[in-house]
Amino acid sequence: MKPLTGAPSPAPLLEARAITVRFGGLQAVGDLDMAIGRNAIHGLIGPNGAGKTTVLNVLTGFVRPTEGELVFDGAEIGGLGVNGFARRGLARTFQNIRLFGAMTVLESVLVGAHQRFSANALSLVFGRRAARAAEAAMIARAYELLAFVGLGAEVADRVATTLSYGHQRRVEIARALISSPKLLLLDEPLAGMNAVEKAEIADLVRQVRAQGIAVLLIEHDMQVVRRLCDHLTVLEYGRKLADGPPEQVLADPAVQAAYLGRAR
Amino acid sequence: MDYLGQLLANGLVLGAIYALAAVAFTLVYGVVRLVNFAFGELFMLGAFLTASLMLPEVRLLGAIVPMPGFSLPVAAAGAIALTAALGVLVDRIAYRPLRNAPRLAPLITSIAVSVVLQSLAQTVWGAEELRFPEFHLATLPPVVLFDSIYLSVMDLVVMATALAAMLGLSAFIARSSLGRAMRASAEDQMAATLVGIPVNRVVAAAFAIGSGFAALAGLLYAQTYGFAHSSMGFLPGLKALTAAVLGGIGSIPGAALGGLILGLVEALGSGYLPNGTAWKDAISFVLLVGLLYLRPQGLLGKPELNSAGRGSLLGGASEFGAGWLRAAFGKLDGGLARAASAGTPAALGLLALALVVGALLPSDYWLRILTLVVIYGMLASGLNVIVGFAGLLDLGFVAFWAVGAYLTSILFVLVLKDQFGVEPATIWWLLYLNLPLAGLLAAGFAVMLGTPTLRLRGDYLAIMTLGFGEIVRVVAINWMDLTNGPMGIRGIPAPNLFGIALGSPRAQFFFALALAVVVVFAIARLVRSYVGRAWVAIREDEEAAEAMGVPTARYKLYAYAASGFVGGFVGVFYAHTQQYISPLNFSLFENILLLMLVVLGGLGTFIGPFVGALIWIVFLQLALDLPFVQAYPETRFALLGIVLIVLMVFRPQGLAASARVALTMPGARPANAKEAA
Repeated sequence: MKPLTGAPSPAPLLEARAITVRFGGLQAVGDLDMAIGRNAIHGLIGPNGAGKTTVLNVLTGFVRPTEGELVFDGAEIGGLGVNGFARRGLARTFQNIRLFGAMTVLESVLVGAHQRFSANALSLVFGRRAARAAEAAMIARAYELLAFVGLGAEVADRVATTLSYGHQRRVEIARALISSPKLLLLDEPLAGMNAVEKAEIADLVRQVRAQGIAVLLIEHDMQVVRRLCDHLTVLEYGRKLADGPPEQVLADPAVQAAYLGRAR
Repeated sequence: MDYLGQLLANGLVLGAIYALAAVAFTLVYGVVRLVNFAFGELFMLGAFLTASLMLPEVRLLGAIVPMPGFSLPVAAAGAIALTAALGVLVDRIAYRPLRNAPRLAPLITSIAVSVVLQSLAQTVWGAEELRFPEFHLATLPPVVLFDSIYLSVMDLVVMATALAAMLGLSAFIARSSLGRAMRASAEDQMAATLVGIPVNRVVAAAFAIGSGFAALAGLLYAQTYGFAHSSMGFLPGLKALTAAVLGGIGSIPGAALGGLILGLVEALGSGYLPNGTAWKDAISFVLLVGLLYLRPQGLLGKPELNSAGRGSLLGGASEFGAGWLRAAFGKLDGGLARAASAGTPAALGLLALALVVGALLPSDYWLRILTLVVIYGMLASGLNVIVGFAGLLDLGFVAFWAVGAYLTSILFVLVLKDQFGVEPATIWWLLYLNLPLAGLLAAGFAVMLGTPTLRLRGDYLAIMTLGFGEIVRVVAINWMDLTNGPMGIRGIPAPNLFGIALGSPRAQFFFALALAVVVVFAIARLVRSYVGRAWVAIREDEEAAEAMGVPTARYKLYAYAASGFVGGFVGVFYAHTQQYISPLNFSLFENILLLMLVVLGGLGTFIGPFVGALIWIVFLQLALDLPFVQAYPETRFALLGIVLIVLMVFRPQGLAASARVALTMPGARPANAKEAA
């Protein structure tokens, strides 16, 4: 079989097909189709309780969908465990920041690089050169990423959970990036930030994309979404309400009704 | 049929007693989420108090004390009331300050309370059995069912009492306002407080009722078997806990069901299995382990009970008011923490000090004690891998230790010497082969035991590993051909190097030190790498670790394996220094002791386990010089328990809680980055 040539657009990076999630009798997500393009900044928006975080949990393996399939980078990944999703190149942050207590910033970020280490127990115990080199390389990479997310090297040895809220968010992003993911999923990265910080994080997201990493973003601030994203999916009551470029989607009366309430 | 019928009848009587004690565990767990190990001891006290109140006179602390000589019902009521009051007192002193403390603290405290009560009982009533006085109903002829099943009148009384107590309690919880408050507190303590329920009083009531039930179960048990003994509460306590978990902890009908099932299975098992009476304790624990594997929430329980909050086992603080004691602990913490996290120079300094002491100490006696300190320090280091770094509470660690000790003893004594007549001195090198071999065997064993526990968390994990530990001990006692049973194995040769016997206490101390260097070095290398970071990440937030690509199940097994390896490794040396081992060396108490050493010295540090071992073992020896302790040696353990309770209440995060170790390889940082503190 020859690959199709001259296809209208390259296959999307992540494709969710007919995803349905039921918790007991409650349907949180219904029959959702969604495609995240390579090198896209894809926004997932919708009113509170629309099922955005559930979708993100499905896309990262935290929630196994009741029905439907997930294809990432050409392979079905629905049956993998959470760490399998991470290993395939999906990295995430959490709505409520989940850094590891009692770990320094550097150590927390290095946990994100877990899959890049391969030394066995004996070479660790005997301190083989390869094991040391891998550790040194990852530590150097962690410092680079801390600088990339806008943190100085001086925070590296502080316990991560003692940092300010905004800095903790950045550590979380660095922790996700060090695994060299293909897709970064951010759950409300701008929540609780002031305008300056929001602009900085939005800028950071653009830089991430510039490195060839696609981004899925849950966000409530429509100004930011409009400027940052190049594709939007709108959820309401767990179903897809609209999908497309931001200007088109945000102008959709159905989307406006969902956010502002329907005209009587 | 007759035989079966008799077994069923016996099983029902035993089951009724287990069910009563299981209610105690379930009621308190339901309200405060605490596995109160001390109920086993309240069970024992119920028996002692009833027996004492029934007798005309009792020997207490060696002196004859006149007693009222009540009849059984009056004595039982008095004993139940006293035990209930004691239960409330224990809650007030030891548990209430820890309501919001990290989850390991109340568990350890309850174990400490257990130790205190048991050693006090042994001090007061002595180490011998107290014959349980006969009640006049017991002299009546037995009731005969179907011509062949004999039930004594007292058996019927036991069952009727249990049934009445259970029904009464169910009605109380369903109908009374205190019962409603209890159910509300069980659902959501915070919400219950907010709507004005005096939660502390409700918890006290749960402890009072639970302790009363434990006492009732204990006195019925003692009445049935005709004696009371200070250690009688241990196994029935574990069985009752098993029954509570079996039925679904938190559920009272579940406790009744679990108790009956356990009683029946034990009776049938001991009746039908070959050599069943010897194995009946293993039967209960196999049942427990199997059930936790297949249905962790128990038969009637809710699944969410198998969950524990995220975060460190000992992170967070006591809500106990500030005081000089707390400040003092804080100072001590500062010092210990500095020592524990100072890294390589401190470790080398400590080693140098140990070498100097080992070379100059003139007393063989103290050298032996210090060797024990090093052995316990190494074992605690092994346990620390799984508890301190990976955050998995393991109460079955002694099993790995036993595997190592038995492997080398069986090979040297039972196989080579007894079967082939090989002189141990001629195969001295086998010891050095056995060290890693036993480590690997125990690691494999640990992975085998760890696999079914992967889905369990918190208290359930502790209970399941405890079950495993007990199974191993029962096997060691009963598998005569392999282990020589309770007689143990004698004549294990002292370590030997190129034909030079290292039998002297000084040589053994240095040998132990050498092994300790290996153990600490290997653990430190593993912890200061991506493996250790994965462990700590699992401890702090398992889901987030998984999302970062850490295969958490596999890394938990690695932690079991590493901890098992150390256990087996040290076990080999232990057997050769003691030259005699028996199943008694590997009891649950030893496991608890190791856990205490780790907590005492600082969870998740490298030196902490040794500091803990030094404090405890030296304390034990010094306590022996006190005249009071010489008169009542058991009070040493009570003292340890009290020290631990005080420590937990004022400093639940452990003595060296602020100590932490770096989780990156030393020297692997880029030159421009600042060196870690």
